[in-house]
Amino acid sequence: MTLFHFGNCFALAYFPYFITYKCSGLSEYNAFWRCVQAGATYLFVQLCKMLFLATFFPTWEGGAGVYDFVGEFMKATVDLADLLGLHLVMSRNAGKGEYKIMVAAMGWATAELVMSRCLPLWVGARGIEFDWKYIQMSFDSNISLIHYIAMAAVVWMFTRYDLPKSFRLPVTVLLALCVYKAFLMELFVHVFLLGSWTVLLVKAVLTGAISLCSLFLFVTLVHSN
Amino acid sequence: MFEEASEVFDNMFKSSFPLTFIVFLPAVLILVSPLPAEAAHEFTVYRMQQYDLQGQPYGTRNAILNTEARTVEAEVLSRRCVIMRLADFSYDKYQKALRQSAGAVVIILPKNMSAMPQDIVQQFMELEPEMLATETIVPVYFAMEDEELLSIYLQTLTSSSSQGSLSAAEVLLHTATANGFQMVTSGAQSKAISDWAITSLEGRLAGVGGEDLPTIVVVAHYDSFGVAPWLSYGADSNGSGVSMLLELARLFSKLYTYKRTHAAYNLLFFVSGGGKFNYQGTKRWLEDNLDHTDSSLLQDNVAFVLCLDTLGNGDSLHLHVSKPPKEGTPQFSLLKELEMVVTSQYPEVKFSMVHKKINLADDMLAWEHERFGIRRLPAFTLSHLPSHRLAQRSSIMDVRSVSLSSRHGAGEPHVDVKKLGRNTKVVAEALARVIYNLTEKGAPGDLQIFTEQMQVQEEHLSAVVDWLTAQPRAAQLVDKDSSVVSTLEYHLGRYLKDVKRHYVKADKRDPEFVFYDQLKQTMNAYRFVKPAIFDLLLAVCIAAYLGMMYLAIQNFGVLYSVVRRITQPKNKAH
Repeated sequence: MTLFHFGNCFALAYFPYFITYKCSGLSEYNAFWRCVQAGATYLFVQLCKMLFLATFFPTWEGGAGVYDFVGEFMKATVDLADLLGLHLVMSRNAGKGEYKIMVAAMGWATAELVMSRCLPLWVGARGIEFDWKYIQMSFDSNISLIHYIAMAAVVWMFTRYDLPKSFRLPVTVLLALCVYKAFLMELFVHVFLLGSWTVLLVKAVLTGAISLCSLFLFVTLVHSN
Repeated sequence: MFEEASEVFDNMFKSSFPLTFIVFLPAVLILVSPLPAEAAHEFTVYRMQQYDLQGQPYGTRNAILNTEARTVEAEVLSRRCVIMRLADFSYDKYQKALRQSAGAVVIILPKNMSAMPQDIVQQFMELEPEMLATETIVPVYFAMEDEELLSIYLQTLTSSSSQGSLSAAEVLLHTATANGFQMVTSGAQSKAISDWAITSLEGRLAGVGGEDLPTIVVVAHYDSFGVAPWLSYGADSNGSGVSMLLELARLFSKLYTYKRTHAAYNLLFFVSGGGKFNYQGTKRWLEDNLDHTDSSLLQDNVAFVLCLDTLGNGDSLHLHVSKPPKEGTPQFSLLKELEMVVTSQYPEVKFSMVHKKINLADDMLAWEHERFGIRRLPAFTLSHLPSHRLAQRSSIMDVRSVSLSSRHGAGEPHVDVKKLGRNTKVVAEALARVIYNLTEKGAPGDLQIFTEQMQVQEEHLSAVVDWLTAQPRAAQLVDKDSSVVSTLEYHLGRYLKDVKRHYVKADKRDPEFVFYDQLKQTMNAYRFVKPAIFDLLLAVCIAAYLGMMYLAIQNFGVLYSVVRRITQPKNKAH
């Protein structure tokens, strides 16, 4: 609508990142450069994913409105590369588990925010027309921050050698949930024909549940030793 | 954090070029991206007439529009753009909008005008002169309906009619939920066009047989008029008159090529411009011919002037005169010949003479022949309309296309080629009878001259009307380079000699007519426009949300310890 509206959306999208960075103590660890490296890794992984998708997944040519279940599932599977990328970031950083997780997740999520949300916000939210979708986009970026923190935590747990046998199954399930979350959301939208606000709410609830579960596992794991 | 950042940038420049590229390219792209100007819907609008005639302003005086859309059902209309559909249009609603000082009025016309019910078309046609009669301060636009525009109208209608007497909070809530549209025109303010030249065309067929032959003048104006210049196609008024004039020129030029049929009458054809603006073209032509030159066909021995106006429909013919012709004059003989042709060849046509004195106190002259009457030339107008006041002569509903289902009976403005052909035949026969003096020579009333090779060609008439109505021909839109003028000139030149142009420009100091531009514009409808107060409210909400987020992240330790306390007993059991 105006520059003011863009400011609103921008604040809504970015301030949670800033607050998280400040409050999590990352700033005290001098972790800014590490976060930037994580972001660069994000870019590299996305590039690889895009190349892979463009090479091996032909454009879906079915009728409009028909959901290509298998194709979308396969595409979501490519997101496994995200896990690899996160693992790569964490393996290159030495330090405590929380620190590694936070650096990887912060860098990863911020890179995504800058790359995929900044431009639409700048172009769209300054226009004369008002649309709720920019506010929704900003909320969505908050959700994805939580999502990536949870995902990084799960990846960290999964790659630990001292992971108890009983943890193996829940961690793997969580990992799968993290990867296929976007796919599941799309499926929900397609089956239940949800409105955009409902989608956002469902996404928030789903992400909250996954993060809470991974928090429980993390706490248990960290304090069991 | 800033020291860290500068360190990071240092590292970036030193170590890796690609990284720099990746970071800076988007930044540059973001900074140079232009402001988006995509609208929800973009459509063409046609502005209502704006002109001054004899110092008197008419029509809308404004062109700029940038206001929120409402329908007439809303409580408050002041400084809003009121949109109406033709189907719901009435003069009361229009007046209500203007009285409440609306910012603008946009009237949506259906794409297919001929599918409209007849009474609505009739009603609108009668309203057109009333809308133009006085000057309107706010801009008035007309738009063609399409799906997008209809949906904009319907959304505006629902939000407008739900507004009752709400409290301030409810209004605020309403602005957050309702769909508003901001209507914006792209053009600048309208301004007077200086040095606008109205073009008229003349051509002649010279008679043989001595000096000082009598002259018959045939006149038709070619311009059209309606509430919006870009929508005035003027099929019947006066596309029909011009096509008849061209057909008469064709027929008589054929007769004048043979020695045996070359008559002792000069025929002067005049296609006048500015006919809807008090016959400006005719006025100047008369001044040029009578006052400024020594020898002109108009100066001596004019038999009569026959003006053709609105002849493409109806089963009646009216000869409008300002002075009943005296017996023995050529005027009288034409009247008699017309009567004779109609009664003996076309008994279904009702022919009558209508007498109306010239009222010099009126702002507008009634018919074109009055211009000649003022200069003491014997003149009359032939039309199927019984009165000059009828709305058909100045309506945007006067279009060519006809749907057979909705149009029957008299009075609708459209051109029926069969009737136009018949009227042309009547006029041609009567003129020939006058020129060759056939009645005195004892020719029977049902003698037909224009038959077989000489017959009136309906395809020809219809092609001319089709071509004339292919583009709007309002006087403001037809300049001297326009295709209308040059094609007319070409057509006249095929049949007539000495085809000349005459230009009228308004006087600079005391202009008799002034036209204005910006008659066609692009309008944008922007969706969901919210007031500034809504932005402020949103900012407050976001600030509150961010505050909560801050508290939540600050106190993450609480959640952490709660989770720890829950998992601890399990651990001990483990």
